[in-house]
Formats: sequence, structure tokens, C-alpha cells
Amino acid sequence: MEFETIDELEEALRGADYLPDRGLATALYLSLALSKPVLLEGEAGVGKTEAAKALATVLGARLIRLQCYEGLDVAHAVYEWNYPRQLLHIRAAQEGTLREEELFGPEYLIRRPLLEAIDSDGPVVLLIDEIDRADEEFEAFLLEVLSDFQITIPELGTIAARRRPAVILTSNRTRELHDALKRRALFHWIGHPSIEREIAIVRLRVPGIPERLAGEAAAFVRELRGLDLAKPPGVAETIDWAMALNALGRQEIDAEVVQQTLGSVLKYREDIDAVQDETLSRLVEAARTAAAAG
Amino acid sequence: MVAGDAILGHVVTFGRVLHEAGLEVGPGRVADALRALDAVDLARQEDVYFSLRQTLVSRHDELDLFDRAFSAWFLRAPVLPPVRSRSSAEVETRVGQAVDRLRSRETEEEADPGDPLELGASGHELLRDKDFAELTGDELRRLRELIARIGRSRPQRHSRRRTPDARGDRLDVRRMIRRSLRAGGDPLDRPLRARKDVPRKLVVLCDVSGSMDSYARALLLFLHAVVGTGRGVEAFAFGTRLSRLTPDLATRDPDAALARCTEAVVDWGSGTRIGASLREFNEVYGRRALSRGAIVLIVSDGWEREDPELVGREMAKLARAAYAVVWVNPLKGNPQYQPLAGGMRAALPYVDRFLPGHNLRSLEELAAVLAGIERRHAA
Repeated sequence: MEFETIDELEEALRGADYLPDRGLATALYLSLALSKPVLLEGEAGVGKTEAAKALATVLGARLIRLQCYEGLDVAHAVYEWNYPRQLLHIRAAQEGTLREEELFGPEYLIRRPLLEAIDSDGPVVLLIDEIDRADEEFEAFLLEVLSDFQITIPELGTIAARRRPAVILTSNRTRELHDALKRRALFHWIGHPSIEREIAIVRLRVPGIPERLAGEAAAFVRELRGLDLAKPPGVAETIDWAMALNALGRQEIDAEVVQQTLGSVLKYREDIDAVQDETLSRLVEAARTAAAAG
Repeated sequence: MVAGDAILGHVVTFGRVLHEAGLEVGPGRVADALRALDAVDLARQEDVYFSLRQTLVSRHDELDLFDRAFSAWFLRAPVLPPVRSRSSAEVETRVGQAVDRLRSRETEEEADPGDPLELGASGHELLRDKDFAELTGDELRRLRELIARIGRSRPQRHSRRRTPDARGDRLDVRRMIRRSLRAGGDPLDRPLRARKDVPRKLVVLCDVSGSMDSYARALLLFLHAVVGTGRGVEAFAFGTRLSRLTPDLATRDPDAALARCTEAVVDWGSGTRIGASLREFNEVYGRRALSRGAIVLIVSDGWEREDPELVGREMAKLARAAYAVVWVNPLKGNPQYQPLAGGMRAALPYVDRFLPGHNLRSLEELAAVLAGIERRHAA
């Protein structure tokens, strides 16, 4: 599936139940048009990972995800040899002589996400999630892969991509990424959505939710983001919370139900403690007024 | 193509505007920007804006600057005051004075530069215990190398990454199989892998307000050496507000770093707002988990100009994220010292180690504590 304009891609993403703002649609479009990776940064829960999933859907591509963590190495990101099988083969061949090629053939290779993405015949969206968690050694290796789109396995030779995967990197900025990696990618910062878009997202993701409840929930979360919280809620939290409220059969919010369900919006004890009693009543009132006005 | 040339001219000049404003914009990025503009509808301002932003900017903290430049250049908005130079005439004078003050202290007593290793044993011992506030410029210069040596010892932690190691605790199966081929398939050799040690993240927050003035110089030398140990170190200075010093301290020469630090910390020599500075740190850097799992080293005398309660609240947040919090207070060097200052009292419950750091000997102690630190209170 090819997209000629940003509008076309935006439309297709909407069709896949993902509502990007214009900036994100532009970033994804340019990433395809320029065949460059795109680095998405933003607060947790603004939909960085969801964007990759939606892009894969509209492209009819396979989504291959590499979740990064500290200590991630080639054996877990690219490939590994299947040692138990190799050992069995050695045992079976005990009598005769054993040639090295027998032991390091494709049938003994365990393919990890990066190799899968490079060595694929169909279209692929490669999601490299939370790259800031991987250590710098891995970042340097990744830079190589993203420049050449090829991987060398000493025993087998070099495998080059027959078609370049679309690459999305996400980062929560727990550390600064290397400049070389940033230069190779387009950069887009995803902020919290506008209130209108957040309501639209909630109504799309929580089918059947009363319009008023969606408006009040979005407005309340917006109020929360204005406070000094350890972890301000993202869109993901708004959706979770709206689902909970809808499941309770609510038409609107009040202090009592907010109190009962606050745990699905705020994930830190200190944040929940900060939103109690008068603060909570004040925010509920503000949200209800804002929703009624909007 | 006339239209194309016009765009080329615009983008290249805009790149220069950004560069002047302090953004790193190489030819590769300008080429990407042109390719991007070629792919979008130029009639839509929003699309032009995002195409340029996504190709020319790669850091969140540069977005604001980009926005101003974009408005000024493409939208012909009234030109805003230059963003990069925050030095108003007053600040400039203040910075100039601060630099002069540092320089004059260094030349105050002209003597031979003196090699720290040639320092007589007795002279050395004397200097070790001499309060930093009482050092002459020459004495400080003699101690420079010793201070740097202390700063270079970094606390380590186990990485999750394993590397070949003869004393390792895990079998390196890949290498074992390779080697076994030579022996006809018998794993005679058992290569091992072990977790390697990597430096633990270290965040240093240094108070450079008036009351700390006499210690700041020596402590900045220490910080310079710490930052020189490589990645995973972040240094900040605070007074009335917080300023990130890591890039300034990253230059090789301590003198240049010192001069640049002075310039970066515009509130050098004014009052202290510890609570507000800690809050700024928690909000901007703590949220990015900069302090998670790190040893946080705070250097301050604890004199809070405003609200001690705020100090306590922000210290609690900081301590939750950090691996350990070490507070260095030069006043503690005085045996009669009692932590009576409001800010210090509020902070102490969240401090794992409380040390003096007023002379060379106490810096050595600090290095030993940092190297052997374990989570939560021991002392």
C-alpha cells in the first residue's frame, strides 16, 4: 500500500482506529517517502508504540518489535545458534567426521527480530521500542544496521535487506541518544493531544461510551496534567479510565466514582495521595464545567 | 527551476539562522529538509512546519528555539530577542566580575607552580587538612592533580551485559561449540562469561551560591574530574535556579571549564533556593529517570532562603528514585557544627551519607564512600 499524500495516510490511520495529529501523520509519511527511520519521543502513554502498530496495519505489513532493555545483545536482537541442536548433531555424528558447515547452517539458526526484519520478503514495520533502555554498545551496533540494512553472520555471510523495512524508534529519554543515531532519523515529539482529539480517541476506543462521560473524563485528565505529579497520565490512562467508568454504567463523573477509580489514571501512591478531598472535588467540578462548555 | 531555487535559498538560509541560534544543523540535515519539502504540499503551512522541524531538530529541548526561529523567518513575526545569549548587560558584568575574582585569587600569591608529587611530605600533609576556604590560589593549584585523582574513582555496578571472562559464572556455549570442533566434537574447553562492571550513574548537584563561594572552586575541580570519567555522569549547579553543567565541564582543561561554568551559572554568588532548584531537577530531569538507580551527590551548606518544607518534599522524591543520596556540607568540617539550618534539617532524613568535603582529606573520604556505597543508611 502506497500513500501519495499526508491526507491519504492520515485517512488510512483513522480507518485503523488510530487518530494521529497532523505532526505525527507528517512524520510517518516522511519516514516512508524518504525511507528514513523516525524517532518518536514523548511522555509515557502518548501512543508511541500504538503508532507503529497502526502503521503496520495500514501498510499491510508485518510488525516486528524489538523491545530494548539493558544488556540486550546480538544474541537476543539479531540471531543465535541453536546450541542444543548443534550438540545433538555432534553426538549423532560421533562416528564419522564432522564438517563445520553442517553445524552452522540455516537450520541451526534462531532468528531474532532484527534478522527477521532484514531477511523478510514481505513488507515490514520494525519497531525498536524504548531504545534508551539499551546500552551504548547496542546503540552503536544498531546504527550500523540502520545505515546498511544488512547483517553479517560470520558463519553464513552477509544478509542484505531485499526491501527496507519502515523503522520506528521510540524513546522515553531516560538518557540522551547518540548524535549519530539521531542524525540518521527523523525526529518527532508527541505531546499530549488536544482536548477535542482526546475525546475523539476515547470515543473511538471505548465504543458505546456516553458522549458526556467521554468529555468529562478527558477534561478531568487534562486537569490532572496541570498538577505537579510524578507521572502525569497519558492517553493510554485516559482510555483505561474511560473503560472503567463505562463498565460501571456511569453517565457522568462525580467525586465518589473518581475516588474509586483513580487507580487506573494515577499509578503512583504519592500522586493518588495528592489528589484527594478538596483537590479532587475542585478538579471534578472544573472538568464538569469544561465538558459542559465544550 | 525558479520556485525550487527559491526554496533552496530559503531553507539554506533558515539552516544558518538555526545554526546562529545554537542548533547544530549540518548539510545532511538541510538535504533531508529539502527532500521532505519536496514530498509535501507547500501550500499547507503546518506541513511545511513539521517537515522542517522533524528533519532539522532532534532534541525536545530545541523545539522552543526552532519555533521562535520558524515564526521569525517564515512567518515574518516580529523578531524576538536572541535566544542563545541570555547575558543581559547586568548578567555580563556579573559574570565578568566573577571570572576576575577567580583569576585574581589564582595570581594573588605568585610562586612556582609546584608539582603535587614534589610537595614535601609535611607540606602535603598540612594541605590535606587545610580548609578549602583558606587555600591560596597557589596551594589550590598544587592540590589540583590530587583532587582530580580522587574525582576519577567512580563507583561501579554489575552490568547485565556478559563478556568473556575466565573467572565467569556462565558457560559461553557459542565459543564452547566452536572450540569443540577442533577436538572432534568433545567440549574439552569450557569458556565462561561474566557480567562486567560498569560505572554507576552519578548525578552531582553543586550549590554555588554566595555562602558556598569559597568551596565552589575546589569542588568544581573535583566535578570536572568526575565528569571526565565518561558517560553516565551529570553535573548541575544551583543557586537561585538550576543549570546543567555537564557540557561545560566536558572540556579537557579544568581552567577553561571553570571559566565556562562561571558563565553558565548566571546566579553565581546570589542567594540559594535549594527547594526550588531540587524541584526543577525532579521535574525536568527526574521525570526522565536521570536519577533512577543513580548515586545523587548534593554539595551544599543547606542554607535555604525560602521554604525548608519544600526542600523536604523534593528530597523525598529524589531519594525514592535514587540508589543512594550523599550530601556533602563543608560546614560539617567544623567539629562544633550542628545541622541547624532549616533546609539542612529538612533534607537530612532523606540523606544516606552526610560528609564534610571541606578539605582534601575529606574529599578522599568522599571518594571511598562513593566507591563502597550500599543502599540506604549505614552511617
